[in-house]
Amino acid sequence: MRQPLDWQIATVKAIRPETAKVKTFTFSLPDWRAHRAGQHYDVRLTAEDGYQAQRSYSIASEPERRGEIDLTVERIEDGEVSAYMHDVLTVGDRVELRGPIGGYFVWDSELPDPLLLIAGGSGVVPLMSMIRHRAATGNMVATRLLYSSRTFDDIIYFDELEKLRGNGHGLDVFHTLTRGQPEGWKGYSRRIDDRMLKEVIKPLRMVPQVFICGPTLLVEGAANTLVRLGLPAAQIRTERFGPTGSGTGG
Amino acid sequence: MADPFISRGFVGKRRGGAEKASRIPPGQYLTDDFPVLSAGPTPSLDLSRWTFQIEGLVKQPVSWTWEQFLKLPSQAFVVDISCVTKWTHLDMRWQGVSVDTLLERVDLDRRAAFVTAFSHEGYTTNLPVADILNGQAFVAYRYDDKPLAPEHGGPARLVVPHLYFWKSAKWVAGLRFMEQDQRGFWESAGYNNHGDPWKEERYSAW
Amino acid sequence: MQETVNDLNRELMLDANAVAGLFQDIFGVEMTAAPTECAHCGAEGEMGTLLAFTHGPGIVLRCPSCENVILRITQTPDAYYVDARGAVYLRLAR
Repeated sequence: MRQPLDWQIATVKAIRPETAKVKTFTFSLPDWRAHRAGQHYDVRLTAEDGYQAQRSYSIASEPERRGEIDLTVERIEDGEVSAYMHDVLTVGDRVELRGPIGGYFVWDSELPDPLLLIAGGSGVVPLMSMIRHRAATGNMVATRLLYSSRTFDDIIYFDELEKLRGNGHGLDVFHTLTRGQPEGWKGYSRRIDDRMLKEVIKPLRMVPQVFICGPTLLVEGAANTLVRLGLPAAQIRTERFGPTGSGTGG
Repeated sequence: MADPFISRGFVGKRRGGAEKASRIPPGQYLTDDFPVLSAGPTPSLDLSRWTFQIEGLVKQPVSWTWEQFLKLPSQAFVVDISCVTKWTHLDMRWQGVSVDTLLERVDLDRRAAFVTAFSHEGYTTNLPVADILNGQAFVAYRYDDKPLAPEHGGPARLVVPHLYFWKSAKWVAGLRFMEQDQRGFWESAGYNNHGDPWKEERYSAW
Repeated sequence: MQETVNDLNRELMLDANAVAGLFQDIFGVEMTAAPTECAHCGAEGEMGTLLAFTHGPGIVLRCPSCENVILRITQTPDAYYVDARGAVYLRLAR
């Protein structure tokens, strides 16, 4: 479908810290259009001498929230755009955005398949858009999120995920912490592996639609394992984030 | 043309380097980093099977194994490097074999006017022969006192400091001497055939 | 699951989802969901699955199966250069 993709000037409506290195920026858009869960926006910064930097960030919010979007951004050391957003941007500032972009790594609530969502670090952002969209549409399709983080303090959206998993609408959340666990931790404590995936996938009675997002090594590892476990490759969609935590860098 | 939107307080990662300005080609910014830039995955090269060849318009093609290559006379090179992606890094310290040293061991045909540097994973870049003689080019296997890392082109890469860094073929496998110029990987996709940073020869003319 | 060699280059590798905006600029339509076929090995898949190397003078998209170049895109101040010889076809939805 031909759609002009123009830059627009959005205004920062709110900034909310999620973890020590991650913030969510709410932008109100003059030319907002409903996105699909999993899509992203491009952010472009221009200096006075004309120098430009551009990065893509996945939309964290659900399309049901009209007129505005949330971008959840991890601050990358030496990251040009993320550092600016974290360190300089304040409520009321204006930023050039373009989107929504993407047609492959998207989930629409009408699809009947159960969902298996696998996230590494800030790869959880587009999957959160899917989870929020699912909740906003009252969808109860069996959904399991397997979310890998370094430590408990690195988990983004922890409270909201706890709340959603507890409301009986068919969402299960599994956390794994790879670098350190708090006392009394009951979740997984290692990198995603065959055994973990087998356990997470077992109770799903139908072949799920799978979305995997995060650093390349995690994404490739999980996708290859699922294929080995018998999942048709066509059911798996992947999106790689660099070690920099966004679709195109810091 | 409408005024572009300016992002309040955005400067970017460029550093001033005012005191070194005369050494920074136009349009470049100074960095202390060594950015990893690649067109593909890092090839894993088995040193026991690695070779460097000189072929094409030479009387007799020559080939070195890794062991033989390491025995060639080598030197330290301290040079400034400019990448077309706009970073310039001054005083980068390399160790390697001068192309002049390599060419002492071949008989170049009089017709050889151009050279294609080719890599172990398919990359190519082209240069006039005059640009690789007289100390202007070397094959480096150490950077900053350490063996050249694979993501930076190790075990060995070509370095041609007076041209944009895309001419410094990573994972170099050899030089092929030719009568006609043959555009390489980036030269055939809009990049300048020559690539002199001081003349800002970034893109091709058309 | 095997431990893959720590390759900074591979870590920097993304997929074509990262250039979805660029595709839209060049082709005028969403391309990441479009099918394509590798001219080298015949593997078929959506453009979004192509391995993307974006940190160089241009963008190189490679087949996830055989890693051969499928698409090469560079941007100069007044033009895009597109080499699609590595693809059997490109499909632009109407």
